[in-house]
Amino acid sequence: MPDLHFHLNGRATATEAEPATLLVHLLRDTLGLTGTHVGCDTAQCGACTVLLDGQAVKSCSVLALQAQRRTVTTIEGLAGPDGRLHPVQEAFVACHGLQCGFCTPGMVMAATCLLNETPQPSEAQVVHALEGNLCRCTGYVNIVAAVQQAATAMQGERA
Amino acid sequence: MNAPTEAARFGSGHAVRRIEDPALVQGQGCFTDDVQPAGQLFVRFVRSSVAHGRIVGIDCAEALAMPGVVAVYTGADLEAAGVKPLAPAGGFKQADGTPMNPPPKRQLALGTVRHVGEAVAAVVAETREAARAAADAVLLDIEALPAVADAVAALAAGAPQVWEGAPGNLLAEARHGDAAATEAAFAAAAHRVTLVIVNQRLAPSPLEPRSVLAEVAEGRLTVRLSSQMPTGVRGGLVHCLPGQSVDSVRVLVGDVGGGFGMKTALYPEDVVTAFAALQLQRPVKWQAERVEDFLTAVHGRDLLSRAEMALDAQGRVLALRVRSWANVGATPTGAGVAIQLLIGPWVSTSIYDIPTLSLHISAVLTHTAATGAYRGAGRPEAIYTVERLMDAAAREMGIDPAELRRRNMLRPEQMPYKSPMGQTYDSGRFEQILDQGLALADWPGFDARRAASEARGLLRGRGIATFLEWTGGNALEENVAVRVTADGFIELTSATMAMGQGIATSYAQLTVDVFGVPIDRIRILQGDTDRANGFGSAGSRSLFTGGAAAFVASQRAVEAGKPLAAEALEAGVADIEYAAGRYSVAGTDLGIGLFELAQRQPGLAIVADGGAKADAPTWPNGCHVCEVEIDPATGETKVVAYASVNDIGRIVSPVIVRGQVEGGAVQGIGQALCERVVYDAEGQLLSASFMDYALPHADGFLGFKTAFDQSIPCLTNRLGAKGVGELGTIGATPAVVNAVVDALAHAGQGRAAEGVQMPLTSETVWRALRGDYGAADKLPVG
Repeated sequence: MPDLHFHLNGRATATEAEPATLLVHLLRDTLGLTGTHVGCDTAQCGACTVLLDGQAVKSCSVLALQAQRRTVTTIEGLAGPDGRLHPVQEAFVACHGLQCGFCTPGMVMAATCLLNETPQPSEAQVVHALEGNLCRCTGYVNIVAAVQQAATAMQGERA
Repeated sequence: MNAPTEAARFGSGHAVRRIEDPALVQGQGCFTDDVQPAGQLFVRFVRSSVAHGRIVGIDCAEALAMPGVVAVYTGADLEAAGVKPLAPAGGFKQADGTPMNPPPKRQLALGTVRHVGEAVAAVVAETREAARAAADAVLLDIEALPAVADAVAALAAGAPQVWEGAPGNLLAEARHGDAAATEAAFAAAAHRVTLVIVNQRLAPSPLEPRSVLAEVAEGRLTVRLSSQMPTGVRGGLVHCLPGQSVDSVRVLVGDVGGGFGMKTALYPEDVVTAFAALQLQRPVKWQAERVEDFLTAVHGRDLLSRAEMALDAQGRVLALRVRSWANVGATPTGAGVAIQLLIGPWVSTSIYDIPTLSLHISAVLTHTAATGAYRGAGRPEAIYTVERLMDAAAREMGIDPAELRRRNMLRPEQMPYKSPMGQTYDSGRFEQILDQGLALADWPGFDARRAASEARGLLRGRGIATFLEWTGGNALEENVAVRVTADGFIELTSATMAMGQGIATSYAQLTVDVFGVPIDRIRILQGDTDRANGFGSAGSRSLFTGGAAAFVASQRAVEAGKPLAAEALEAGVADIEYAAGRYSVAGTDLGIGLFELAQRQPGLAIVADGGAKADAPTWPNGCHVCEVEIDPATGETKVVAYASVNDIGRIVSPVIVRGQVEGGAVQGIGQALCERVVYDAEGQLLSASFMDYALPHADGFLGFKTAFDQSIPCLTNRLGAKGVGELGTIGATPAVVNAVVDALAHAGQGRAAEGVQMPLTSETVWRALRGDYGAADKLPVG
């Protein structure tokens, strides 16, 4: 099995992966990071979204070996070292942006990517950024509100 | 000490952060597939690619020889091992009065396949990949037979037959009401309206697909799965698996990634996975792929109706007459039949004073997946029907649709009211809800908004739905165990089941009301049949049954601590008072903390059980008003305003109930505008992925105005709460469709617009604007 070296949630990680193994299965099955979820088989639902070199990607559509010498951030790597929630996580809680929580890790990662690139997005930009993530519980209402609240909080932190 | 006021901020009626959320937003939830015991095996099913066929042969030799393959099972293997089919649907009769006779629900097909995706064999292997490869190597020889996928075709003369126990594909029939009185009312009516109504088939689509992990430990079978009804699952496993009893089977449920009714059933795949674990004495996992949920999880709705309403000259409804055909699939579930033949009919007359009705419903077998519970479960179909009729009648008579509804609403002084369906509504002030709904929606301002839309080249329509629904599942009793622990927690154990609805937080808030401690001291334990058993969570019942039990059990625990405190404080029990986490002796400053008292007990805990039984179901209700804009060039239809006023009785968790109504409404909008399970004429499933089955996305409507009127508590449970989980879904579909029909009618289509059928995709609306409503809707004869 080929070796795989990459940065995962801030740590240098050495493992190995079969050429056909998907990143999501490496994370869940080999590395035990089960916060990244699988909700479909056709790259529609976005529950598996992680950051690859800061970009939101669907980890069901990326081979594990494509992470070679790159940086991956999953939902488990988002909170601060002191356990403090990332502003996007905090806003999802504060705004009731989740119900069953299955889509939430992917939603949070997609939103984090958006806010890193577009710190003060319009509602239309938020909706556009989340078009690849499905939620069946919330109707998206509070998810969009949470992303907007997170944007405000992160702006405050930068100020 | 400011603990009482501090803790009270977390009690019922207050907006709190959900106790479920910190784990879920950090990826620390525990969904079934997150549990990965060492050495677990993986199941993969070999499924029929045809809708109807005779199994000629199953060749497993090549698969069995492949690396990593541990076992391959067929229907014959299960039968030989004494595995019984799932409990059959029952409780209804055929047209000739004999009991219905559904086909057996086998876990793996035997002899005949009856729908696409039906499991024929199961491969068990060391890895997911090995299981997949070996499943591909199982050679199925199935002789395809003619198939039929919709109720109209299934009832036609000469149609392929699904099962010999249902001649003509008619499984069961139900009639409700008074046919003669209804006929007389129609004969005397000044106005009659008739609609053909299609409640299309839907896929519930919780984001977490079905998932099950079975293990055998110390002689017992433990099955962990994503379910709303752990006790029912246990009972089903015991029914199917030889030699098992309720004592030998434990069902565990962790986090459930959405249920919506789909996860109330025990599925064939669950039984096969448990069977494999028993055979192989190793942990066995089955994780459904999304396509497998589309193929073999229950679908919802699928009801075809000819609906008629008779009114007098003043617009008073005299009678309702509905003839319906429910496509319940090939191997129907009990719920799938009951939902259409009984549960939906219960709300047929809704909040209106309709003196008589006549319903005739047939359950029809087709070569499709079984239907079952999906959010609303019968009430969306019935409410959609009566609310579409109300609009048609208003158009027929030239009366404002809100005014026509008002003329027919039950009045508060009629409560308790017994409907022609024999259902008793305990409470309701429907006109009060209507008035608030019209105000919230700015009903009088619509003409100006329509003019503004038209100035931008867009059509605008407005729709209203005023309605009630039934909640409770007719399982009205719950028990809760409370344990106050020495390490400072109050643990409640309940047989209801969390699935995203926030029930743990709501129970915790009710517990705070009693104990007066901060909410972070409360833990809610669910999903373990070794600890609690009951009906589970369905039918919007969990709060008004389980929440009442949580409240009672908490009160019992406080009382149970009083003699213990008296002993610790060397005082009389009558002198012991409790407040805010502390027992004290009245009139003194002597006292002991709740958790310190627990520590002093031999079992390091104060324990109590408590139960509550509601007297009857609850009847939540609402007024939902929707406005849509349509681009006449493309037919694209957008919800642009949505206001709702809801009576759900007393509110425990205000943030949660708003999320339930709005998230539920988006599911109802999904039925109205985009969702539809599609089989072709040969029974092939065309909508088998999220590419082809259109769920609402984030670019839908976000601007809900949602209000609640708490002045009308439920009178049949001690909380005064009414169910909330399905209300939004039930109201949204008719409100949206009535708005689209209004826009089409105003755009020159007139009454013809009433022929439009869901989902109202751009193409459907574009065609309707050009007078094309598809082939005239066929209805079966009779």
